[in-house]
Amino acid sequence: MLSNKPDYPRVPSWPYFIWIVFLSIILITIVVWGVSFIVDAPLEEEAAWAVTPNPAKAPWYFIGLQELLVYFDPWIAGVVLPTQILVGLMLIPYVDVSPHAQGRYGWKDRKFAVSFFSFGLFLWFALIAVGQWFRGPSWEFYWPYFDYPLGGNVWTYPGVPLKMTTAMLGNMPNWLGAISIIVFFIGGMTLPLLFMRVSDSFKLAAIFKDYFKKLGIIRYCIIQIHVLLMLGVVGKVLLRLTFGYKYIFTTPWFHI
Amino acid sequence: MSKASPEHGGDRKPGVIGTVWKLVTNNFIFRTVFRTGFPDTMLKRMAVMRSSFLMHILPTKVGVHGLKLYYTWCMGGITFFLFLLLTLTGVLLMFYYIPEEHRAYNDMKDLLYMVPYGRILRNMHRWGAHAMVFTVILHMARVFYTGSYKTPRQFNWVVGVLLLTITLLLSFTGYLLPWDQLGFWAVTVGTNMAGATPFIGFEGPFSELLGAQIDNDIRFAMIGGTRIGANALIRAYVWHCVGLPLIASGLILFHFYRVRKDGFSGPL
Repeated sequence: MLSNKPDYPRVPSWPYFIWIVFLSIILITIVVWGVSFIVDAPLEEEAAWAVTPNPAKAPWYFIGLQELLVYFDPWIAGVVLPTQILVGLMLIPYVDVSPHAQGRYGWKDRKFAVSFFSFGLFLWFALIAVGQWFRGPSWEFYWPYFDYPLGGNVWTYPGVPLKMTTAMLGNMPNWLGAISIIVFFIGGMTLPLLFMRVSDSFKLAAIFKDYFKKLGIIRYCIIQIHVLLMLGVVGKVLLRLTFGYKYIFTTPWFHI
Repeated sequence: MSKASPEHGGDRKPGVIGTVWKLVTNNFIFRTVFRTGFPDTMLKRMAVMRSSFLMHILPTKVGVHGLKLYYTWCMGGITFFLFLLLTLTGVLLMFYYIPEEHRAYNDMKDLLYMVPYGRILRNMHRWGAHAMVFTVILHMARVFYTGSYKTPRQFNWVVGVLLLTITLLLSFTGYLLPWDQLGFWAVTVGTNMAGATPFIGFEGPFSELLGAQIDNDIRFAMIGGTRIGANALIRAYVWHCVGLPLIASGLILFHFYRVRKDGFSGPL
């Protein structure tokens, strides 16, 4: 690494580093203090078990997961997916072992890694944006900043079912669901490997073959499983929005 | 100021400031605190970084490219500073807040209307916390995009992910403390998800295998009851003010230690 070599240009931390630290501290203090001076932190009525607000929203950083509750059962949206996200994040340095493109913004050498990570980041914040700004009473879609006559936080029509859209939802037949899942995961794991075989005629296949050689089968599997899981989440969301499927596979114990 | 100091003064006569400066700094008591004097030579610049308690966690010399703002976005440092800011404002808030079901909300009102500077104290803690969640995500994104998690820093990335988790948990436990509708129901939504954990949550799949009920599952352990109440409040408070900050501090120390040992990431 260049920065370990003795002739790498260095400057003394005092004052070149210290002044950046010092200015950051002052700047952040001013910003936090300034915002706090202008905008009050929210404080609603005293907590009351009997008064359920509609909708009850999680803090913004968890709202993406709450938004996923529309599309998945709580054990997936609230437990499996967040755990898998954290495990996946921790695995990154152990599957991306190429020492290249370190210490700089490298798009050219790591197009796949950057795209995959960016898509995940985008998905996380897109779900937050939808949940925070476009969901209203009963977690239905609403436009932000309009004052709907429903009465804001409180559902004012007790006779009307809370989740009107659930009435229109159906489940995918189990045989179709099972086939979809198997085809999606088995196909997703093997298709890139088959694609490698035509590396003589396709440049992309050749690039992939080279990439696979460096990765090895175990790292490839770990990466591909996470790619498929993320695409699977998007796929389930689209399936529900387009065909109204609540579950694609149901068992007596759990539903997916 | 340094111009008038003896090192720089040359044959110029020191002015009032210079004289005062000399009086303050040129005695053995001052020297017991600030040992190296004003760091105007390379030797003193090295010495001051190494001998100062506050600055010794920084290297004495840094690579030029690691200092660039577009490279680090200062996000790691800003996150740490926000952590310190939140510790300070949090300790001050603890003077005025008692985590008791019937009192907590009144203490919030007192903070807003009775305690001098209570409102801005609470605002700073709240907005600082939101900012910290955001900066920690930005820091992670920056480290990813610059490939800084690569060898030999793999494990420090893992610790970073743990710190991200702790940050989210810190923010989440703090959300309940005002004991208002916003936090109460947000935490209800959040902890209900824990009840759906497979095997160990009463609503999760295969819960009957381990006999998970509403009053003995993982959610019950988290909130100390079958619904958010006085027990959940004290648990959130203790985790928020003692448990999680201690874990976070330990991980932060390790995180920084590894950064110093492995050096800043740099191009090949």
